[in-house]
Amino acid sequence: MEYKIELVNLSVYYGDFHALRNINMQIGAKTITALIGPSGCGKSTMLRTINRINELIDGTRIEGKILIDQKDIYHPKTDILQLRKKAGMVFQRPNCFPLSVYDNITYGPRVHGIKKKAELDEIVEKSLRATWLWDELKEKMKKSALSLSLEYQQRLCIARVLALGSEIILLDEPCSALDPITTLRIEELLVELKKDYTIIIVTHNMQQAARVSNYSGYMLMGELVEVNETSKIFTSPQDKRTEDYITGRFG
Amino acid sequence: MKSRENLIQFGLLIIALSTIVILLLIALFILKEGLPIILRVGIKGFICSTHWSPQQGQFGILAMIIGTAWITAGAILVSLPLSLSCAIYLSEFSTPKVRGTLKPIIELLAGIPSVVYGFMGMVILFPLIRNYLGGAGPSILTASVILGIMILPTITSIAIDSLQAVPHSYREGSLSLGATRWQTIRMVILPAAKTGILSGIILGIGRAVGETMAVIMIAGNSVIIPKSLLDPVRTLTANIALEMNYATGDHRQALFATGIVLFITIIILNIIAHTIARGGVEK
Ligand SMILES: Nc1ncnc2c1ncn2[C@@H]1O[C@H](COP(=O)(O)OP(=O)(O)O)[C@@H](O)[C@H]1O
Ligand SMILES: [Mg+2]
Repeated sequence: MEYKIELVNLSVYYGDFHALRNINMQIGAKTITALIGPSGCGKSTMLRTINRINELIDGTRIEGKILIDQKDIYHPKTDILQLRKKAGMVFQRPNCFPLSVYDNITYGPRVHGIKKKAELDEIVEKSLRATWLWDELKEKMKKSALSLSLEYQQRLCIARVLALGSEIILLDEPCSALDPITTLRIEELLVELKKDYTIIIVTHNMQQAARVSNYSGYMLMGELVEVNETSKIFTSPQDKRTEDYITGRFG
Repeated sequence: MKSRENLIQFGLLIIALSTIVILLLIALFILKEGLPIILRVGIKGFICSTHWSPQQGQFGILAMIIGTAWITAGAILVSLPLSLSCAIYLSEFSTPKVRGTLKPIIELLAGIPSVVYGFMGMVILFPLIRNYLGGAGPSILTASVILGIMILPTITSIAIDSLQAVPHSYREGSLSLGATRWQTIRMVILPAAKTGILSGIILGIGRAVGETMAVIMIAGNSVIIPKSLLDPVRTLTANIALEMNYATGDHRQALFATGIVLFITIIILNIIAHTIARGGVEK
């Protein structure tokens, strides 16, 4: 089987601080992988390294490799902009731009050179339908995205990534600003999206990992302690540290 | 203990109130001195007439209004590209250390006395313009360039603050979608900082309209309707400053009335700046 994403002996440093330690992980296409672990263990760092947004922080450095579709994304010849398009990111807090709903969704296509109104309209409808926002928002294209509720804003951020034409969606605790009911709706959405996309979701909510993901990885202090099918991680963890965390005996 | 605090509080209140009272008194004084002549020649006769010859009893300030407008517009045109590029560079591309050093230096420019700017205009710009573009030297162009430089610090500093106030998450969000830095600035950061930058520009306009000393030195001060950028003009502020020390009677009143026009202009500009700034917050 060919993997969509492979992390090979990946280490990430912030200055002298060793934030990710020698991570090895393979992720198949069209699966949902959940990353769990206590705060500060390096989950966000891992996602941000895959999108190469993390290198904007001064003093970050990586060792090892990340392959997407068998290509090393840290190869000097990599087109970073195309990579970020392929692996779009959704952040912890919705970060819709202070622009209209329409301009938010078309932002990705526009920065990647799509100008035709008809084409953009089509993309908007498709990505809004895919995130179940079309009926609510089709009359509100010109409204400021910031006037929407947090849930809608976060769904709009997901729609923005879909509109980009991403194949991989990286979500960093996408529900942490939402209430339990809207959280469930986003989870449902993710399961639906799995049919077409490869998804990695960071969460510190274990129920969430159990509900949505096919695979789960448990991280601790920069290490990937264990990764396996989600059902196995939650019922028969191989590592004592995973078991302690799952059963709530952590720390 | 308590009563002492009350006393201090009361004292501060009196001081605060007296500031407002002084401002009101100035406004009232200007109105009292200037309003009669406006009422006599009519608002239209005062503002829309180009004839200013106090000896003949003609008090139309249109030429000065046009002069002020030209110089102010020119100053904004000179200043905007410079201050915006400067602000974008310092906010989006420079390191915090460079920004921390350069921003106070730019703000220091605002502290240079305006007579020095006027002097620079006379010794540097007059010969340049005379030799390369023609005319005598004092002109709309000279005044626009110098005023443009004078209002640079105001606009730049406010623009930097507005750009810096744009949440970092917008930058990350845009870059993470594969936008370039320029696209991010043009399509997200500038629109997000728009209201702040606009109010900075309006404050800059206010400064340009109100500037007197430098303008007297370099604008030429002729009461004419300019036909080219190389023509000399007189501004409203220059009109008051140049004639006040020998004016009497109606003439004196007309100068105060010019002050009323300036006062109202500045108030309107401030209201616009505040409204824009508030609109930005509500969003
Ligand atoms: N910009 C940064 N500079 C220095 N250290 C950082 C930075 N961002 C994160 N770290 C450190 O890296 C570790 C992992 O952080 P992060 O990936 O955000 O963890 P998580 O998302 O699992 O909570 C933490 O110990 C954090 O302190
Ligand atoms: Mg995190």
